[in-house]
Amino acid sequence: MTDRIAELTKLTLEGKMFAEMTATEFDREDIFLSKQEMESKRLCEHILNQKPVLTQYQKMTGFFLCRNGIVVGDAFHRQGHKAWEEMRKDFYLKNIDNLSTLEWQHATADYKKVLEKGIKGIIAEIDDSLKLHTEKEEQEFLSALKNVAETLIKWAHKCSEKALEMSEQTDIPEYRSNLKTLSEALKNVPENKPSSFYEAVLAIYVCFSADPDSVGTLDRYLNPFYEKDLKEGKLTRDEAKEYLQELFLMLQAATHIANGNFTRGGESHFCIGGYLPDGSDGFCDLSKLILEALIDLPTWIPQVTLRWTKKTPKEVFRFALDCERKDPNKRIAFQNDEKRLKCYTEICGFPFEKAVGYTTVGCNEPAFLGAITGSNSKINFARCIETLFHKKSEKIINTKDFDEFYSVFLEEMFSDLETAYEYDNKYNRMRAKDINYLSSIFFQGCIEKARSLTQGAGDVVIASPMYIGIANVIDSLIIVKQFVFDEKIITMAELVSALKADWQGYEELHALILKKGDFFGNDTDRSNYVAQKLYQSLYEFLKDKTNLFGYHWLIGDLIGYNPHHKWFGEKMEATPDGRHKCDSLKFGLGQSEGKDRNGLTALLNSIAKVDPNAIGCGSTVTNLMIDEQLVKNEENFEKTVDMLETYFKNGGVHFQLTYVSKEDLINAKATPDDYKNLRVRVSGFSDYFVKLNEAIQDDIIKRTTQK
Amino acid sequence: MKLRNETMKTIIFDIERNSFVDGPGIRTTVFFKGCNLKCKWCHNPESQNREKEILFYKNKCTWCGRCSELTVDDEHFLCFNDAKEICGKEYTVDEVFAEVIKDKAFYETSGGGVTFSGGECMLQIDLLLEMLKKCKENGIHTAVDTAGHIPWESFEKILPFTDLFLYDIKAMNEEIHKEYTGVTNTCILENLKKLLKSNVDVWVRIPIVPDVNDTEEEMKNIKAFFESYGYPAKIELLPYHAMGEHKYEALGKSVEKFDVPDKEKIEKLKNIVVPY
Ligand code: SF4
Repeated sequence: MTDRIAELTKLTLEGKMFAEMTATEFDREDIFLSKQEMESKRLCEHILNQKPVLTQYQKMTGFFLCRNGIVVGDAFHRQGHKAWEEMRKDFYLKNIDNLSTLEWQHATADYKKVLEKGIKGIIAEIDDSLKLHTEKEEQEFLSALKNVAETLIKWAHKCSEKALEMSEQTDIPEYRSNLKTLSEALKNVPENKPSSFYEAVLAIYVCFSADPDSVGTLDRYLNPFYEKDLKEGKLTRDEAKEYLQELFLMLQAATHIANGNFTRGGESHFCIGGYLPDGSDGFCDLSKLILEALIDLPTWIPQVTLRWTKKTPKEVFRFALDCERKDPNKRIAFQNDEKRLKCYTEICGFPFEKAVGYTTVGCNEPAFLGAITGSNSKINFARCIETLFHKKSEKIINTKDFDEFYSVFLEEMFSDLETAYEYDNKYNRMRAKDINYLSSIFFQGCIEKARSLTQGAGDVVIASPMYIGIANVIDSLIIVKQFVFDEKIITMAELVSALKADWQGYEELHALILKKGDFFGNDTDRSNYVAQKLYQSLYEFLKDKTNLFGYHWLIGDLIGYNPHHKWFGEKMEATPDGRHKCDSLKFGLGQSEGKDRNGLTALLNSIAKVDPNAIGCGSTVTNLMIDEQLVKNEENFEKTVDMLETYFKNGGVHFQLTYVSKEDLINAKATPDDYKNLRVRVSGFSDYFVKLNEAIQDDIIKRTTQK
Repeated sequence: MKLRNETMKTIIFDIERNSFVDGPGIRTTVFFKGCNLKCKWCHNPESQNREKEILFYKNKCTWCGRCSELTVDDEHFLCFNDAKEICGKEYTVDEVFAEVIKDKAFYETSGGGVTFSGGECMLQIDLLLEMLKKCKENGIHTAVDTAGHIPWESFEKILPFTDLFLYDIKAMNEEIHKEYTGVTNTCILENLKKLLKSNVDVWVRIPIVPDVNDTEEEMKNIKAFFESYGYPAKIELLPYHAMGEHKYEALGKSVEKFDVPDKEKIEKLKNIVVPY
């Protein structure tokens, strides 16, 4: 790490690089303007009134925030969006009928476009669109975008002046020259197409303000600049690394140090590698450099995912896993392009060239460059099981075989899903009342359609609500099949009574189920059969369904930062999988409470085979806990690499690793002070174990540590 | 060939998937019950007897009485306190194969396969032969983990279907061998000589048990043996560990205590016997 980056790292970790907001006093007569005119005018005034974060160590500047609620925010920070605020008050973390609850959405701006034509080019697009859209609302929207876009250029010019001023105050010749270069560069970007790799990174740095979330497919849109400059001798690999590090430090600094999310990876998440439109594997030297640059920094944000393809060389996969095992801050995860692209081409119907442009954002939500995640809800998927056994038991008590039981179950499940998806649409309808000026400039479809990002302007978007309790449902179905129909150990009536009594008086049955239940993850014929049958039903139900904007529904299973699995579970009666009344539900299909007993390959097989149609390629994560000893020994590490590669070849969608022993976790919960540095993967993000809330801590402890 | 499959059954006490320690790559290890040695340090005492057995962990028992009529064939039995368990389950060749084939993709990526272990899997040579054949027919790499106290004819039978032998040398000194394993090492070493001469891969594994065979002399003798008859593809030293102790009690057997060797000692011994 260079001295300059070391200084910037220090400042970043001290919270001194945060873009504090400067308050702006608006003309009170603004309110006589139309909504769009007023909101965009204030936004522009806010932007130009901000002060760039600038120290003598920087080669880049120009990041600002709009999150004080006085002006409308961006796609990620919704403060100032009235409808959103109103909805959030009543529905965020407050579920409806214990079935659905509102959650955050993520998005990534179209940085490729910024680098291809500059904001000036985007303004030209707006001008063209203004000629086509003549409705007053459309005209107002497009004019607002144009004003904001022009303001961004002015803002860059303001930053340019500040950099020049700063350079004059600096005695160190190197820094003085850096700042002069910066000042010059800001006269060119993001207004115009960048003329170098440095300017390209700088353009992203400034435009990140419009959607401070994910930098998307960073390696592929930066690579043309990287290769050109290297070839022409204008750039060294080390210089490129420094620029990337300066960008990454800004991503870290974009979150306030006092915010709990400062040390969570999910705040900014992007992808490297994966298929290119021509069908080749896109992992290149720049992708490798990105990993190297990131791992050098003692930060938490951003986190990065390697998109694996069948063409990814083993050395690349091993290199990334090696970085991962050496990274104390757990910033690297892995995605299977084969499975995801099958989903995005076959189910969503995107052409291959577009489908390959996906990235994962937030915890692990799929989004495309210049698009948002099209859904914003969590679904209690296990509620239908509760309903059947506790409220509608007369419907199942006389079912003659598993198939008959299953069809009654399906009816209930579909009915819950219909309701839950309708709520998802309602959240979106509400959100559409807000107009997003800042992010809409950089999002596909908004300019052409003269419609805000929030109003379904995007054309490649995925809508993936997250199902909580999939594993509970699968295991409940398995137990019914095994205990009631296959082995006839109990009758359905007895099972119903046991559940209504929350297993009281049925302790032996409960113990028998926990010990002998053929649970998911053991790679047995029965457990695989039931799980695959369920995913097949879900696929058939969803394969032609889209949300109100026409975005295809998919299935995800992550929980995000909030313990929704606890909140849903604590209002639920007992379920056949051995779950007690009020116990948390499970999220994801990973290890659980020692129910997977046949080892990690068995679990990985079960997961990889569960969903051959790939309907589950929404916001899906698989957390794997692996014994630390396994990767300390080189020979075992090699075998671990092989094991995980096989899992992808077999059809697994995603994984991220935690290396830890169960004893560590139990001790950490008891004496957190001794384990301040213990970092674990949660639901698509990583965090310090001791900072997690108790429900999530318990959940992690319960997952088996696989040898 | 009539014997094949359904009719032949054997007692298996465990099938462990995702094993990283029983040969190259990712493996599934099949543990046969029954052994013709009685090594005093054995960490799987439940593998020694060929029949099914009941393990009883007295300190966990609440004397609820549910198991008063328990027999070893009671497959569905469950002690709610984990105090009693039945060790061993009957498997046919096909049933074992059905488990082994599940991880084929993992074997292929990692150069792994199946390892037949025990106990002494070669005591049931006909059945083992069938299992090996079936695995080979399906392109699975096969390893046999043996103590080697077996007639050479048995080796000849399985050699064409075995890719690797994991072979133990427990002691070169004949008296020590006899005292601690119950048998002399003559046949074992003779078989090893022949194996080293044949085309099959051999990995030799040497358990290191303090005050039994942890001497430089032992290692030098092993080295001399290799120098005369050829080096195996790999030599592994397996330090003694006490993780099997509680199982002796559960089986009503008396346990012999040994120290756990320290790391430096192992390193030193290794340097004598391992040529690289
Ligand atoms: S069932 Fe278990 S707890 Fe009860 S007497 Fe038998 S061993 Fe003891």
